[in-house]
Amino acid sequence: MAAANPMITADAVEATEFMDLSRKYRVTGVPKTIVNETIEILGGLPEQDFVRAALGLPEVS
Amino acid sequence: MGLLSPQDEATLRQHLATITQPVQLLLFTQTFGGSESGPVAKQILDEIASLNEKITVVEKNFVLDLDDKAKYKVDKAPAIVILSDDVDTRMRMYGAPTGYEFVGLVEAILVAGTGKIDFEPETMAWVQAVTTPTHIQVFSTPT
Repeated sequence: MAAANPMITADAVEATEFMDLSRKYRVTGVPKTIVNETIEILGGLPEQDFVRAALGLPEVS
Repeated sequence: MGLLSPQDEATLRQHLATITQPVQLLLFTQTFGGSESGPVAKQILDEIASLNEKITVVEKNFVLDLDDKAKYKVDKAPAIVILSDDVDTRMRMYGAPTGYEFVGLVEAILVAGTGKIDFEPETMAWVQAVTTPTHIQVFSTPT
């Protein structure tokens, strides 16, 4: 996503190495994704579901 | 002794052969008082770089290289900043890239080195429509 749009930055964080961050974001399971401090995604999702969730796009009914 | 087996090296070399443009891996580590994973990260990056001449590893000191730290907005170490022909891809890895993180690192290098992003057209359109700063952090563990 970051490579596709200069507005996006993407960090992969090793949770056990940065425990303070893991505590801050209440990482109790992985993968856990945090977007702009507001959106939380727990677990892996298919591509479109993940991008939709990460960007806060409405879900398809 | 290398971290990658000869078989893994052969497979990885094959994947990396698709790279067409230079990839720089900036590794920020802290020598004193830093994490023990810094040297592990360096060994992993060196082993990857040894498999393809277009990949280079550039070491940066987290404490001393303040200009680069600010330029690439690196706030913790060890950190890997991935550049595509000296252009920031805005992809970062924090911690030693072992286990699942290793796969993520290789995929990021392939994106940086080929310019190819493997998204469905619809997904790509959503991503390219983003107009506000968006910071994604993905937490994972090696196993």
